[in-house]
Amino acid sequence: MGDGELAQLQRFVVEAIRGGPSTEEALHVRESARGMTPASRVEVYREQFRLRHLKNVADDYPTLAWAVGGADAFSALADEYLAAHPPCTWDLQRLGAEMPRFVSTHARWAKDPSARDAACLDWAFMEIFDAPDAPPFDMSLLASTPEDRWTSARIDLLPALRLVAMKSSLHEVRDALKQGAPAGRPTAAETRVVVWRDPACFPRSIAVQPGAFDLLVRLRDGDPLGPACEGAARAMGEDVSRFGEHVGTWFQEWTVRGWIARVRF
Amino acid sequence: MGWRQQHAIPDLGVGVGFRTPHVTHVLSQRPPMDWFEIISENYFAEGGIQRANLERLAGAYKVVPHGVSLSIGGSDPLDHAYLARLRDLVRRVDAPWCSDHLCFTGWGGVDVHDLLPMPMTRESLAHVVERVKRVQGAIERPFALENASSYLEWRGSTMTEHEFLAEVAERADCGILLDVNNVFVSAYNHGFDARAYVDAMPADRVVQIHVAGHTDKGAYLLDTHSAPVRGEVWDLYRRALRRIGPTSTLVEWDEDIPAWDVLVSEARRTREVRDESLGGVSTKDGRWATVS
Repeated sequence: MGDGELAQLQRFVVEAIRGGPSTEEALHVRESARGMTPASRVEVYREQFRLRHLKNVADDYPTLAWAVGGADAFSALADEYLAAHPPCTWDLQRLGAEMPRFVSTHARWAKDPSARDAACLDWAFMEIFDAPDAPPFDMSLLASTPEDRWTSARIDLLPALRLVAMKSSLHEVRDALKQGAPAGRPTAAETRVVVWRDPACFPRSIAVQPGAFDLLVRLRDGDPLGPACEGAARAMGEDVSRFGEHVGTWFQEWTVRGWIARVRF
Repeated sequence: MGWRQQHAIPDLGVGVGFRTPHVTHVLSQRPPMDWFEIISENYFAEGGIQRANLERLAGAYKVVPHGVSLSIGGSDPLDHAYLARLRDLVRRVDAPWCSDHLCFTGWGGVDVHDLLPMPMTRESLAHVVERVKRVQGAIERPFALENASSYLEWRGSTMTEHEFLAEVAERADCGILLDVNNVFVSAYNHGFDARAYVDAMPADRVVQIHVAGHTDKGAYLLDTHSAPVRGEVWDLYRRALRRIGPTSTLVEWDEDIPAWDVLVSEARRTREVRDESLGGVSTKDGRWATVS
């Protein structure tokens, strides 16, 4: 058996584990002790493959499972997902990486805003779980830096922070599910949520005002503070100077929560 | 000088896996335990709670990384990014060695996250040997291969698994992590003699032993790490120790994980079996002390 034959055999078994029973099994797999057929031996791996990855995706997407109606509906969705996006990395944390996109184009769930939003929310929590750490922000910068330098400053947000815009307060549903409490219907209203890992490494989420959320999006995307504030003010239909009155307060809150990683002048 | 001596492989005593249900207790109470094994891939991230917890664990105990995704027998290229993370991890915890399984885990970029058995042939042996040498070169620490449980054997195999594993270790100059529960499970599933397997291990290359429980599925045994160690597996452990001598041993319990006290009881039982088997020649003093 050369390397080519080794690869062929490995291809056979991986495809057999992912797919259905194959006539090739008897060609490659020994029929030995315990009277198990070659097919039943491959089936042991096939069953473990499905159970392992279904459990993994279910653990990662509790809000989505709730949004699609529970465990059975979620298993059907996850089976479809895993067939379309088989695990392609050693990192099981990344197994569900394509789920938000998958749901947004799914024949049944694409038109369901709760399913779409839930997928994005759950994935945001996955991403912040092991995102890189950042040293604490030097709060003294806020007071010691001349005002005219802030206009061109670029604000780096915490690597373990994600911004999620939703059509309802699904983050409250997720909180309830994670605490094992019954999840009520979320409030149907545009909801902007910041998901982040706090300094003690606990995952958190909180709804913020539309203006604050828009500003955070612009800062995340690399806009300097001045243009970001102007853009956010215009988007909110507010006068820039009046909008600026909120910004100082928001910055205080964001630094206390650890959302600001660094300021580049 | 033997391989273990040459690589200064210590006898760490009896340890357990560092698992989520016990994290708070272990890190806050620092209960007596000789050492901990971690699943390597769970600690590769650049940030987050896992990394923070590991830093605290390694500050209080000896830690040994044990991987599940290296795919040493795979025909896909070795993942250099993975190896870089593994090297970083063994350095961070100052591991005396690290280990993974004799298996492949996927093909064509698909990772099935399972430990698939190798065909036991001369050609696949040469393939594994070459890759083990590259892994050891990359991580710059002693590396050990574990025998995995299996549920199928390949028609094309021309060697037994114990012959294959022993020869890989010799030619690649690596260590062996002997999982006596896996030997028992595979022996049952394939009808070979578990004792002959243990007797064939090159004693000086065995750096670590795993003991664990498994599940009887009727037609076969499944390696679930979800139950206490069975009597037949204790017998294999005794046999291995008498042949190999004092060797770091780990109790694996990964599903239906019990309360800490129950896990400690299983570790204590392991120590009793170990001390009985070694007839008082254990290099550890029998007290579970944290590393200062």
